[in-house]
Amino acid sequence: MPDIAISADKLTRRFGKFTAVDEVSFEIPYGSIFGFLGANGAGKSTTIRMLCGILEPTSGNGKVGGFDVQTQPEQIKTVISYVSQRFSLYSDLTVIENLSFYGQIYGLKRESLSRRIEEVLTMTGLYRFCQRLSGDLSGGMKQKLAIANAILHKPKIIFLDEPTAGLDPLARRSIWELLYSLAEQGTSLFVTTHYMEEAERCNTIAFISDGKILRIGRPADLRHQLSAKILEVACQPLMKASRLFLTLEGVRGITVYGTTLNLNVNDQKAVSARVVDAAAREGVEIISIRPIGASLEDVFSDLDSERPDAKH
Amino acid sequence: MRNIRAVAFKEFIHILRDRRTLTLLIVMPLMQLMIYGYGINTDVKHLPTYVYDQDRTYLSRRLINAFTQSDYFTVKTQAASLGQVYSALDRGLAQSALIIPPDFTANLLKKKGVQVQLIIDGTDSTPANVALNSSQAIINAFMQNEKLVPVQLLPIDFRPRLWYNPDLKSSYFMLPGLVGLLLQFLVPMITATAIVREKERGNIEQLLVTPIKSYELIIGKILPYIALGVLIASSIITIMHFLFMVPIHGSVMTLFFLTLVYLVVCLGIGLWASTIADNQQQAGQIVMFFAMPSILLSGFIFPREGMPVWVRDIGYFIPMTYFLKIVRGIILKGMGFFDLIDQVWPLLLMAVLVIVFSIRRFSKRMT
Repeated sequence: MPDIAISADKLTRRFGKFTAVDEVSFEIPYGSIFGFLGANGAGKSTTIRMLCGILEPTSGNGKVGGFDVQTQPEQIKTVISYVSQRFSLYSDLTVIENLSFYGQIYGLKRESLSRRIEEVLTMTGLYRFCQRLSGDLSGGMKQKLAIANAILHKPKIIFLDEPTAGLDPLARRSIWELLYSLAEQGTSLFVTTHYMEEAERCNTIAFISDGKILRIGRPADLRHQLSAKILEVACQPLMKASRLFLTLEGVRGITVYGTTLNLNVNDQKAVSARVVDAAAREGVEIISIRPIGASLEDVFSDLDSERPDAKH
Repeated sequence: MRNIRAVAFKEFIHILRDRRTLTLLIVMPLMQLMIYGYGINTDVKHLPTYVYDQDRTYLSRRLINAFTQSDYFTVKTQAASLGQVYSALDRGLAQSALIIPPDFTANLLKKKGVQVQLIIDGTDSTPANVALNSSQAIINAFMQNEKLVPVQLLPIDFRPRLWYNPDLKSSYFMLPGLVGLLLQFLVPMITATAIVREKERGNIEQLLVTPIKSYELIIGKILPYIALGVLIASSIITIMHFLFMVPIHGSVMTLFFLTLVYLVVCLGIGLWASTIADNQQQAGQIVMFFAMPSILLSGFIFPREGMPVWVRDIGYFIPMTYFLKIVRGIILKGMGFFDLIDQVWPLLLMAVLVIVFSIRRFSKRMT
């Protein structure tokens, strides 16, 4: 088996004149978690749909599990599974009924199917809910069911579209534990998320905006590239200060964190002096000002400021 | 095969768990059967009639008797004046009025011609027609019975007979047609909503990434609804036969087979509606949109023979037009498969077209 689970080579999809995904390239090895980050409408779902074989790419190549995205979409479907953003199993079927329906579709035979259903129910902790209607499960349980369903046929590659959206922190953590254990067993996971601390848990992350991949790499590397470029300013009034500092030369972007501002800057020393000046002039009280290491959220807002049409 | 079975099994669970639709599927056919079987009766009888008998002789009373004995007319009142007759007609107390002149018997005995007037309320054309035709028959019979005309001199011995439905019972006509109407309405409705529901709830997204083939999905989804359609059709026919005593003259097997063909067409309409609609409400509206002209133009209630040619031509595109001829032909007239061939082939053609078309549209959506 080759080491590469998913690869994309200049994968492109246009809808009429609109280019949803624009020459996207990456490689994802087996056993790793790939985090796909981007705003709503950036092209995440379109990329997933092409890789899953349900949307034909306009140009470019892709290989998933060794099969070609353009010519072998049906073979791809046998080796992958997909957990959609929205709960898409049947809510009027019980947990067991959903699992056995999909198990049959994936070609599991009777005895191995019931054994496998037992395994995934135990793994996801859904065993005691197995006779319950899926629609009556809580949000976290529904998502676990969707994952249980996704691993029934032991796929080597799983696509998860915002698997933790709208869940409470505990549920999110237990879903991520589940994902880790799957990755450990050699499964390759392609995850989209909005949560930066979740992106931090991935082996590789890619930022996509307007259909283009802006950055790709290990989370730590991406943060390092940006360090020595973040200035944390505690000040008040906060929003006035934010508007003021954004006008200063050398400030590329500002992220508001509760009582502090993270300024994305070119040069920490020069900008620091300008900030102090401007604050004194405009009556903004500065409590503290210090250079800090970048978080992924800073990376995200830094990338956002690079967009030609960025409005903030 | 396994996939088709899995889909069909799951679909059955959906049907059984959806109490509201299930209730509709049971109650609606029963309700319509009762309404068309008991309620709607186009057999016009006992028309309320005022009689203004100015002659008041034995013979004039015999004439009135002839009218009442026919069951088509019921004498409500012996009117005292023409004014009373007119006002009764105006106010709707009477739908017909028989006016016998004062010299009725006298003139008849002198072999002179007499005028007897029957005024009919023509507002509603159906009872008016019945009254008109039956009154002529009654007068002819009266003249013969009373020996007012010499029978042997009639050059044509005219003997009309009603075949297939000698008593002209409207339930004989309506109830077999109801099979067509209910299938045309219910089957596309449940099929379309079942498929659109998967779209609406996002289930289709999950199905698309599985290795299932689109024909397996469609056939698996359709099978339970074919079974349901057969169940609806056979229960209507059973109730029609045993409760409303409509005789079935033709072959039940032929009826069953051709009903299946019709069912496929209905399912196809539902499938097609589901490829257009984005939600269940829209699907329902599309199905309704096609059900209405079917009811009006297929000959279910209004005879197609009376329609202008271009309206009648529209009817040829409606599957129910053909099925009504088939179901009435088999049940009432005992027609066989080959007697109905002119109805069978358009229906078969429609079945093939609609299924091929829907599967193609459906698989297009999968990419």
